[in-house]
Amino acid sequence: MSIESGRAAIELRGVSKRFGSVQVLNRVDLDVHRGKAVVLIGPSGSGKTTLLRCMNFLEEFEEGEIRIDGEPLGYSDDGTRRRRPEREIARQRAALGMVFQSFNLFPHMTVLANVTVGPVRIKGLPRSEAEAVARELLDRVGLGHKLDAYPGQLSGGQQQRVAIARALAMKPKAMLFDEVTSALDPELVGEVLAVMRQLAESGMTMVIVTHEMAFARDAADQVVFMSGGSIVEAGPPDQLFHAPQTERLQAFLRHFREGYRL
Amino acid sequence: MFDVVFRSWPLLLAATGETVLLSVASGLLATLLGILLALGQLFAARALRYLVEVWLYVMRGVPLLVLLFAMYYALPYTGIDLSPRVGGILVLSTYFSAFMAEIFRSAVLAVPKGQWDAARGIGFHGWRLMREVIVPQALRLASASYVNTMIMLVKGTSLVSIIGLWELTLAGRQIVERTLASFQVFGAVALIYFVLCYGLSLAGRYLEKRFSYVH
Ligand SMILES: Nc1ncnc2c1ncn2[C@@H]1O[C@H](COP(=O)(O)OP(=O)(O)O)[C@@H](O)[C@H]1O
Ligand SMILES: [Mg+2]
Repeated sequence: MSIESGRAAIELRGVSKRFGSVQVLNRVDLDVHRGKAVVLIGPSGSGKTTLLRCMNFLEEFEEGEIRIDGEPLGYSDDGTRRRRPEREIARQRAALGMVFQSFNLFPHMTVLANVTVGPVRIKGLPRSEAEAVARELLDRVGLGHKLDAYPGQLSGGQQQRVAIARALAMKPKAMLFDEVTSALDPELVGEVLAVMRQLAESGMTMVIVTHEMAFARDAADQVVFMSGGSIVEAGPPDQLFHAPQTERLQAFLRHFREGYRL
Repeated sequence: MFDVVFRSWPLLLAATGETVLLSVASGLLATLLGILLALGQLFAARALRYLVEVWLYVMRGVPLLVLLFAMYYALPYTGIDLSPRVGGILVLSTYFSAFMAEIFRSAVLAVPKGQWDAARGIGFHGWRLMREVIVPQALRLASASYVNTMIMLVKGTSLVSIIGLWELTLAGRQIVERTLASFQVFGAVALIYFVLCYGLSLAGRYLEKRFSYVH
């Protein structure tokens, strides 16, 4: 039993999604509790990215519902499953921070502008206030000295840390990370994982898709194993990594250990 | 030998003014119309989108000269009475707006999908999303082709001389008829067109530098 009496920050109930005739998500149920870090693992093509994108309504889903702090995401509350007006969807998206594998920083803006554009244009924060917040966040991710640089002048690891700061600047209820270290050179992975670890320790609610099993073991409160668009197994990291119950997770971990010599 | 050119200089200059006026007016209108057509193609409801597409195919598939003749000879029968100048500007701007539309549309589509995702993820939508994130990047992608099309438009204004609109090319022909100095006069006319277009090229280069960012 969790201590918090309320409902989970992010609740998924029976979420299903198809791309054409391909069933990519198959009745997914998941609770992400406040202040917890949930790590999603699973083979390529198992639907992890799609699931994360559904949580930010960057993808529509045909069945089931997702609630953010109790509010149904993307579709109206009245049971008609009508898509909400874009303005409302935008407000709901702003409440969750998303970080992508390919950084997706705005190349025409400086680092500082990347981090302030959301707070200023979406939240209507005064520029000076937004810049103060941005400086503090960029300091926290170790980039306080790069405010005036453009994304193209930064390493991948630096860009990804700016992307994390950009998402945090919106003061989201939760952060979603989609394989954020997969596009990085090996020597740059550590600096990004360190920022995420620090974030988890500070009590941020996080959903993290990653292939960094050591990180998952250390930082996750819960590990979720997906395969073929379904959640096959979920539990605390100790249990999942050391006593996997299902054939498929056992095979996945074996495969992984061979490939990555963990 | 170039006396003719010097003596006709005031006339050539005035005609250049008319050509610049035609270019600026048609260029502005073509740009505005091109933006609207591109937006229609990208975001409008399906029926309107098809309509826009058909319109663009027609505009791109018919020669400018034919459009000018159609306007000049056919329009009077419909009871619509346009001055050659207004008619010329309308034909030039609708014709070139079709090319502008394609430039803007493909520039918007060339902005990586991840940029849309990132902007939406932060909470941008609609016009704000376009203005803050997509348009600045699309403009940079479009700038070279845009300047190119503008140059075609400036040169395209010479065709309206055929429907009797007095501008640089028609002025040149009139001067040649009086002086028979075709080589010198058309040399001067060509030089003026070249200077106008070269100026546009330079301006385009400059803008591209201004808009560029480290990638
Ligand atoms: N935009 C799309 N159109 C069609 N199929 C897609 C699209 N995105 C993902 N898929 C398919 O959905 C499945 C799950 O993909 P994804 O969520 O990216 O998995 P993962 O992140 O676990 O590798 C894959 O089979 C993939 O080919
Ligand atoms: Mg993925």
